[in-house]
Amino acid sequence: MTTETPTTVGRRRPGSARARRRSGLLLALGIALALATVFPLVWMVLGSFKTAQEVNSPSLIPETFTLENYAYVFSQVPFARYLLNSFLVSAAVTVIALWFHSMAAYALARLQFPGRERIFLAIFATMLVSAPVTIIPTFIIVRTLGMVDSYAGLVVPAIFNAFGIFLLRQFYVSLPDELEEAALVDGASYWTIYWKIVLPLSRPILAALAVFFFLANWNAFVWPMTVTSDPDLRMVQVGIQTFQQQYAADWNYILAAATVAALPTLGIFFVFQKQIVASIKTSGLK
Amino acid sequence: MSAATTTRTQRSRREARAAALFLAPDAIGLTVFVAIPMLLSVVLGFFWIDGFGNVDFIGVDNYVRMAKDPQFWNSARVTLIYLVTLVPLIFVVGLGLALLVQQRFPAVGIIRSALFLPYVVSMVVVSMIWQFMLTDRTGVIATALSAIGIDGISFLGDPKLALGTVVAVTVWLQMGYYMIIFLAGLQDIPGELYEAARIDGASAWQRFRSITLPLLAPTSFFVLLTSMVAVVTGGLDMIFVLTSGGPANSTSLLIFYIYQQAFLFGDLGYAAAVGSVLVVFLLIVSAGMFLATRGGRFSHDD
Amino acid sequence: MPPDPIPRRRTVLAGAAAAATVPLLSSCSASRADRPLSFWNFYSPAPQQDPNLVAQSDWFAQAIDAWNASREREISPVYMTGDQMNQRMPIAFASGDGPDIFLISPGDYLRYANGGVLEDLAPYMEQEAIDDFYPEALTTRRDGEAIYGLPMEQEPLALFYDPDLLEGAGVAEGDLPQDWEQLLDLSARLSSGTITGLVLDVDPGYYQNFTFYPWLWQTGGDVVDPSTQRPVFSGEGAQAALDLYGRAIASGATPRTRPANGDIVSAFSSGYAAFWQTGVWDVSNLRLNAPDKHFGVMPLPAPPGKETITALGGWAWCVNARGADPESAARFVVQVLGSMEPSSIEHVAAWNGPVKGNMPARASVDAALVASDAFADEHLATFHDDILPTGRGEPRFPPAVYKAVSDALQSVELAGGDPTEESDRAQQTIESYLETYQGGTLV
Repeated sequence: MTTETPTTVGRRRPGSARARRRSGLLLALGIALALATVFPLVWMVLGSFKTAQEVNSPSLIPETFTLENYAYVFSQVPFARYLLNSFLVSAAVTVIALWFHSMAAYALARLQFPGRERIFLAIFATMLVSAPVTIIPTFIIVRTLGMVDSYAGLVVPAIFNAFGIFLLRQFYVSLPDELEEAALVDGASYWTIYWKIVLPLSRPILAALAVFFFLANWNAFVWPMTVTSDPDLRMVQVGIQTFQQQYAADWNYILAAATVAALPTLGIFFVFQKQIVASIKTSGLK
Repeated sequence: MSAATTTRTQRSRREARAAALFLAPDAIGLTVFVAIPMLLSVVLGFFWIDGFGNVDFIGVDNYVRMAKDPQFWNSARVTLIYLVTLVPLIFVVGLGLALLVQQRFPAVGIIRSALFLPYVVSMVVVSMIWQFMLTDRTGVIATALSAIGIDGISFLGDPKLALGTVVAVTVWLQMGYYMIIFLAGLQDIPGELYEAARIDGASAWQRFRSITLPLLAPTSFFVLLTSMVAVVTGGLDMIFVLTSGGPANSTSLLIFYIYQQAFLFGDLGYAAAVGSVLVVFLLIVSAGMFLATRGGRFSHDD
Repeated sequence: MPPDPIPRRRTVLAGAAAAATVPLLSSCSASRADRPLSFWNFYSPAPQQDPNLVAQSDWFAQAIDAWNASREREISPVYMTGDQMNQRMPIAFASGDGPDIFLISPGDYLRYANGGVLEDLAPYMEQEAIDDFYPEALTTRRDGEAIYGLPMEQEPLALFYDPDLLEGAGVAEGDLPQDWEQLLDLSARLSSGTITGLVLDVDPGYYQNFTFYPWLWQTGGDVVDPSTQRPVFSGEGAQAALDLYGRAIASGATPRTRPANGDIVSAFSSGYAAFWQTGVWDVSNLRLNAPDKHFGVMPLPAPPGKETITALGGWAWCVNARGADPESAARFVVQVLGSMEPSSIEHVAAWNGPVKGNMPARASVDAALVASDAFADEHLATFHDDILPTGRGEPRFPPAVYKAVSDALQSVELAGGDPTEESDRAQQTIESYLETYQGGTLV
């Protein structure tokens, strides 16, 4: 029913000259784009090995190569703690959000009930907020609930964002109508259908969302900065900002810290990208 | 009532109940943490608030002021230009990249990661890096251009170029994200359709136009809508670091203007009013898009 | 603007919503009775172990610990960067939860004062202490007899230069530019390749305005006449100052983006800039981070035939009048910054001297510094003897006035705007704003 070929387009008889040339052209194009894209980040990583005097020069390769910035970032600043906080918060939000949003999207896409489209539109409308204005009422609400300066304050408000619901709903809408028929005829509950049929089918989308949610929370700093003052709760992006003083900034430390901060999310993406790309052919069900 | 109708009513009631339970956590959370602040903000738009506890009801005065405010209109114009350049660009680039990395060729996994990489690094750091690279005379880009004889271009300091520069950096930053979304959507298209078309002698472009694009419709709809919302309500951090709304207000997006009014001027009521205008604008455009596509549901009938 | 006297249905509904939000906005929960007073600042507790930053953090800690040890209401410092403070303060105050003590810059001061959240510190001070402050430091924080903030320092602006780079271009230290025209000429000549002649600020913000005011004042012009409170920005002086910036960019003397991302240490070390307008804080910055690099400091050149004037920045401590215990907080601030106790004066002198390396805001502190030879460094001596006396305190303007000036400056500097048109436009904007303005005087 489902095949695991990683690509559905451009299959030719393997080994033919035409196939190899086409492959080569794509590779060349891919490499060119990839290099152009990655260049600024390469510069960031290389800059993290430069000394403070050299960090602002446009040269790519450091004249004096040093690991001191990394040593400083971990020893003179509780950076490991910042990473841990970010990890806890991002992981918690990701798991909970994936669960809540897939449930909601399933209901909105595949269940019939009065006012369904209007509820969906209302949920969608919550995406239209302008953060600078709503942050103050949100802060007041969070404070009223007693969640200021706590992990709850970092995790709970971050879960509720209509983006994931929207994406999943679009995806579930595109699944064939007859998907649940067999199970319903057999008397399965909606929960079973959700858990055993719909969720497994959404693995690529969930994988993509997992990456997005984790990333969004890992890179967040406006809300974490607003809702916590306790240094023990500091998350990694707010931590990186502390390398900026009143009139100057320690660029070499910032670049090192930013490189370290980018690694976990890159790792997560690398792991999940195979899931995202795995094809889910639904034609077999027709 | 016949037995069949009763079962149907029972079943639809069961369905509605299940739906309510499925929706409950998100509905409650969204209401408390998003909808209520949004509504409060809309209400605040009818007040004069100085941010220190002094409040005064002024009705539509904020909106009257907005209509006569040249800075508001400048920001609106900048935002519009930003919107109509960025959304199509990001759509095309995202789709193009997705089509590329969907192919099978050596190292495609690494290339995919490389294209996604900009999105992985926080926007603040990314903006700082670009600020470095785009510095006049001493930045990497300036040095490279100088080597081929082009001098004196100021990407971030010239009011005529700054917005374009911000657009370019935004595309660079976001393209991996939309590439992934398109990729997930593309994966959903059965390979058999392409095989059948190829056997029928259809060219690559014909296959793209009659198979890929139509079946990609739900994803495309999603990308257009979310990128529009993201473009209008986001980008604040980047503007903050790269240009602070300058040079000469040429990158003063509405979202930045709102931020200024709320945090710099302390005029929370006015900021809320401008925010409400933004919401209404987005609501109208989104509603239009939903109506045009029958609620974002696209038929699978070939 | 009083609300309409005839209550209409919409008014009633909206009024109810407002009534619901106002208690939220200005809440005073009972649990605040015992909690420590919060002191928001960007020094302490230091987030990193850099010895400099630790020294600054310790200075704050000493003052706070001394206070806490004396069985008074406990004070607890909260660290955040300056940018973070700019974002968090409005949120905190809008939600009724502003910090009890905080640092404030002259640019922001008036908004807070007009909002009625600053506690008057004068009743807690001796007259001798009040008189001890330099007028330029205190005037922008007082209203009549009331004093709403105590400055901890004064930070004058000057022109830093790279003598090695200048020598390489054949300019000896005796040939430094004496006025605007010479400065622009020389800078334009020097700008080529990766070398920039004159670095002026380009990013819009309070700071850019701060660096613009000295040039404006040198022409004899001003934004607002302090005695009449009427704008005078359309005068010749303002046009000349705006024109200076326009010409600097147009002639290539000044770049549209600052080299090395605004980091003077890197820029001077790499020989990217000849002249750089910045403040006294960069003396310590350069000494610490580029100890082998020679640099020079000179007063800002004036237009031909005029006197040099500079602007004095510097942060002040303020007390939240709506905080949990403004009285204790006020006594704390006065004890640290506004007291004639020898130990207090010595402590402030430590800040202006070895810890931060800037200029004092008080005569007695100045005397202590001179006595301890704190200005032995040639550049600090230049600041103290030549530059500080020409200083005028950074003005306090409402945000609308700040924006009008900023827009004019940005337009002329970067968008090729005409100085006369822009100064007239700004003048009109400020005029119409001030017509309905009610609040503290603009100084």
